[in-house]
Amino acid sequence: MVRVTGNFQSESPLHPKAFEVLHAAFENGWADPGKLSQSGSKANQVKNQALESISEFLKVPVETIFAFPSFSLGYYLGLQGLLQENSTLVHGATDRKEVFAIASRVPRQVLPSALDGALISPSQDSPNSVLALSVANAETGVIQECAEIVRTVSTNRIFLDATSSGIREQGIDSYSTAIFDSRSWYGPAELGLLVIKNKSQWSNPLPHLNAAHPNFGASLPLLLASAVALENFSSEVTEANKQARTFNSQLRESFAQIPDVDIAGSLDSSLPHLLSASFMNCNGEELLRGIQSDGFSVDSGSACTADNLEPSHVLAAMGVLTHGNIRITIHPDTTQAEIDGLIASVNKNVERLRS
Amino acid sequence: MIEIDARGLRCPQPIIELGKQISTINSGDQITLYSDDPATEPDLNAWSRMTGNKFSKIEDEKFLITKN
Repeated sequence: MVRVTGNFQSESPLHPKAFEVLHAAFENGWADPGKLSQSGSKANQVKNQALESISEFLKVPVETIFAFPSFSLGYYLGLQGLLQENSTLVHGATDRKEVFAIASRVPRQVLPSALDGALISPSQDSPNSVLALSVANAETGVIQECAEIVRTVSTNRIFLDATSSGIREQGIDSYSTAIFDSRSWYGPAELGLLVIKNKSQWSNPLPHLNAAHPNFGASLPLLLASAVALENFSSEVTEANKQARTFNSQLRESFAQIPDVDIAGSLDSSLPHLLSASFMNCNGEELLRGIQSDGFSVDSGSACTADNLEPSHVLAAMGVLTHGNIRITIHPDTTQAEIDGLIASVNKNVERLRS
Repeated sequence: MIEIDARGLRCPQPIIELGKQISTINSGDQITLYSDDPATEPDLNAWSRMTGNKFSKIEDEKFLITKN
């Protein structure tokens, strides 16, 4: 049996403070906050406190924040809610699949990616367009020059995807809607936050009876746990970024010594805790298994590790090698020993697979 | 000209087979690669940038590679 000692996958355990509060959250937040009862009133109080806390750390008015329970629903609410009849959706070639799914049903304009992951701004767009922008890419960590791209478009309907950047990187303020993923600050999965900054530009795309108070059915206990995780991670994020940057730099320098490696994007223009590297002539799945057998878990964007045998559309759009790929996420509890061990494991397994 | 029929092979095998054969030919010589793997074309883009060899897509599942 293999004991995994180093987790470099995108998922991570809950923030310890969020975990601590979960029991109390379920005790106080089980009732429907919308109902007139003592328990409902208590739950409503818990909900308001959680949203106020989140509002403080996301630096947006509390009345603009709405919790949602599933990732794809968040994209649908935030993006579809901005689209009007005959709108063109302008989005990046490296955006998440959820954006592509929505774009497949409307007229669209795809912004190509340069080799460094930066999107190439459109030369022109329709005034009735909606711009979908990702603050940073979830696979490579590459941060977009959002303000620069916004300057080049005529539309002011802007959807901001802050799911991978969270509070690690500030995007732009001039957006219409934005979504955040609770996991980006080590809160629970299946809990996201939709910010509707400009309500005049957004209409609820779901069937609804009450337009004034949209409710997307998020779990109240998870919302509370997310608020606690956010509050705590906010005070840790500067140190976490600093430590991650040091580790990331070590990984990049070490991998760069291996012949025929393709590292996606530069550290200077990426989230410090993410790294994507591809090793020519290595099978991604075998590389993953070899690293796993050394006790380290990583992700991969290679086609041979995907259910549909398609390579990562992000790497393909950037023009980065799509096979032999590993994706590394550095967490706040990652240690120097784990980084050293991972470097040794990658070196050993790449050499083995190439021999 | 060398022809590699990598149809039915999955990532990264077509590129590995290409890498083996390209080392046996001279600069300016060409290889025809047949591959139906969806990862081959994006991979050839990166491979060509990294190795300096050129490629062009002749038709679906058929690529012409010229050694640098």
